[in-house]
Amino acid sequence: MEQSLIQALGIINCSILKRHGNNKFEVMHSNESWFYQLTPEAKDQTIFSFTDSSSYLQDFFIDAENFWKIGIDGQIQSGIWTEQVPDHLLRLEAIAAVSKGESYLVINNLQEQYDKQQNTVQAARELLLSNDKVLAQHEYIHERLEHLLMRNHDLESLIEPINKAIESANFAVMICDPQLKPIKQNPDSYDLFEMNRSSQEEQPIETLLSLLDKQFPEFNRVFTVSGQWNGELFWHKPPSSSKWLQVAIYPIKNEHRAPKYWVFIVSDITRVKYLVQRNEKLNQFDGVTELPNRQYFWKSLEQAIEKACPFFVLFLDVKHFKRVNELHGHLGGDQLLVDIGQRLSPLLHENDLIARIGGNEFGVLLHNLKSHTRCEQLAGRMIEAVEQPFYNENQQKIMVGLNVGVANYPLDACNAEELMKLADLAMFNAKRETKSTIKLYSKALKEASDKRLALEEALRTAIDEEQFELYLQPILDLKTGKIIKAEALIRWKKSEEIIIGPDVFIPIAEQTGLIVPIGKWVITRATQMLSKLQNYDQDLKISVNLSPRQIADRRLFNFILVAIQDTHIPAKNLELELTEGVLIDNFNQVYRLLNAVRDLGISVSIDDFGTGYSSLAYLQKLPIDHLKIDRSFVKDLDNSDSDKAIVLAVIAMAHSLKISVIAEGVETQSQKNFLRDHKCDSVQGFLFSRPVPFDEFCTQLRNQSK
Amino acid sequence: MIQKKICLLGASGVGKTSLVKQFVEGIFNEKYLTTIGVKVDKKVIELTDKSVQLMIWDLEGIDRYCGFQAKYLRGASAYAIITDQTRSQSLVEGIEIHNMAREVTDAPAVLIVNKADLDVAWHWSEKEVNAYRQDFQGYFNTSAKSGSEVEAFFSCIAKLASD
Repeated sequence: MEQSLIQALGIINCSILKRHGNNKFEVMHSNESWFYQLTPEAKDQTIFSFTDSSSYLQDFFIDAENFWKIGIDGQIQSGIWTEQVPDHLLRLEAIAAVSKGESYLVINNLQEQYDKQQNTVQAARELLLSNDKVLAQHEYIHERLEHLLMRNHDLESLIEPINKAIESANFAVMICDPQLKPIKQNPDSYDLFEMNRSSQEEQPIETLLSLLDKQFPEFNRVFTVSGQWNGELFWHKPPSSSKWLQVAIYPIKNEHRAPKYWVFIVSDITRVKYLVQRNEKLNQFDGVTELPNRQYFWKSLEQAIEKACPFFVLFLDVKHFKRVNELHGHLGGDQLLVDIGQRLSPLLHENDLIARIGGNEFGVLLHNLKSHTRCEQLAGRMIEAVEQPFYNENQQKIMVGLNVGVANYPLDACNAEELMKLADLAMFNAKRETKSTIKLYSKALKEASDKRLALEEALRTAIDEEQFELYLQPILDLKTGKIIKAEALIRWKKSEEIIIGPDVFIPIAEQTGLIVPIGKWVITRATQMLSKLQNYDQDLKISVNLSPRQIADRRLFNFILVAIQDTHIPAKNLELELTEGVLIDNFNQVYRLLNAVRDLGISVSIDDFGTGYSSLAYLQKLPIDHLKIDRSFVKDLDNSDSDKAIVLAVIAMAHSLKISVIAEGVETQSQKNFLRDHKCDSVQGFLFSRPVPFDEFCTQLRNQSK
Repeated sequence: MIQKKICLLGASGVGKTSLVKQFVEGIFNEKYLTTIGVKVDKKVIELTDKSVQLMIWDLEGIDRYCGFQAKYLRGASAYAIITDQTRSQSLVEGIEIHNMAREVTDAPAVLIVNKADLDVAWHWSEKEVNAYRQDFQGYFNTSAKSGSEVEAFFSCIAKLASD
């Protein structure tokens, strides 16, 4: 065998066989130390045939024969396999090759590569397994505690089952009140921090909170927004104790979505860290994306500050990532992170840095930009790159977005902790938007954020103290001119003088989840009103608005059912109002809910029709009774031919589907005339009445019947 | 003598290689050594009416470092999904692998819950495990360490493979 061919094939410790037809081979080059152990049938033969001694090789021959028959220059590999020969194991890979019309079989001995690969993957897998176990244990104990603590029992009666759940957990579990004062800390909490249970010194939770404060400056946000948190901390007790800790923080929320308890779960992962350190690459780089990890990012951030040259810190958060994990599994989610890293990296200058610093979070350091405008432009390109569709291995389309928070050194802060905190704050503000958004940190942003947090707090108080009032806006039948229905509209009466409109507090309630208790209050109040309205008109309806968060609440249907039963009202008098967006985003949930409420007799109307997707498909598939033409089309009816055309088209389409039409925002007689002339079914607007308190609405009903 | 190819599949670290080692050599090693690629072992097993030479394909654990490779199931007369009763995720992943395998083969499958010598530390109830069992032609709670149920598992899969 020519040495040049061996080199051309790039193979050293190998055996090369020339193929002379079906299962007929000539040994051209062989490594005798192992080749004849694998194929004793080839010994002393010019041409030989493989027997079926290697099941793996026989299987590979199926593909190889097809390849050789095609006869085009190239190679196919078998993948690594291990073969047991009398006194040892062979790590092999077979290659079927065609070169200049000749067919070859190359068997490559990969012992060295195998050992290397095994060492790397071994460390990575041990790490993966240890991590897996810790996370699974955390999640399990969290679920058990949530189940216990969500019960509306007094804490004393829960102590025994809680003890049972956490006493022998093998890791630290601490349960605190909303002010983070410990209620229960299991024995492992003390053991972990090498503390004496009877001592009056620092408590485990205090040590943990002070570690969090120093090592994760952005963690305070977790408590402010009642979120969950997972991360690693390093604990050191002079002179010689130190541990790596895996920490999970979970809020247990009450029915008003405020934290009732905080659960802290902490495991000692020093061994895992030791495994990571065995592999330098894993120590500095993220195992999934192969980008630098949080520790590397942090180190680079501190180095950049030492150089004292201006730079930007970007905090990136992948929108809808949880949904990707749910729909496509964790492997799908991991692949998406890899793809995102690959799309973002080329946008950066070689001195810049991108790192994966959290589950769905990336950190970026930009050194070469002279202005905030440039930084914003680059962040815009990052968003564009991430908003392009991704495809998983089954060619399913995946769409995500990006929230970007930006802070500048030295304009915004001069130390690493503060810069990260501010970039995180900016990102968190970006996150509130439904679309991908860039937010640059500024004092105004901080003030707005503080103001918003204050409003959130006030809203929680409002829920506790029921500072709301439900107004009703009449809806009239255009043929008879009579009130047939009312839309329930909430007002927040913060004090006698201050009434806050829903446009201010509903978006905050929606983002914080407070919309769920508020929505329940609305349903309860509306059914109570309907009970009283039975005295005026037994067919009169009240429609209540449902938000996306409410729809996602699995307990909503039962709540509606109980509210109807408690007030003894006919279910047909209640109407649910949803926007088009809700239908599109949660189609399956909406489908189930609407069919269930329809079975009860509740009617459904679609709000703001025409402003969203206006899809005929869902109108046909869902049990919908009414469409409400958005006020923006009604407003310019007198002057705009296109609005007239839209209104006419909606009426015609709805009627063809046997859906009735309500026009919102009717303010003039001519609008009313147009709608009446074109067979719109009912109307709502200031021309007839503003939203009014319940008593005033009852007066209107009385006047109508006179 | 008839030869039958069987495949052992599962997440990494569940004990596939240890089961084969216990079955073929009667040895158990505490140290975890990850498998790269495929290792094929052979062993003759005596069934009531015949002898079967099993070609046992021990496949690299499926995880983020190694994806599922349908081609290895080609020609397999049966396969086993191995899980680890100390790790909840191993059953989830095992079932995912089983579903992927079902797309390329209708060979009989056996569900193995391994590491019976250790305390059960996963959070699946017996009822849940039983529900998953329904989708398999055999089920064993094995210990590669003590050898418990290992022979029974391979005898069962040999029988399923040759029926």
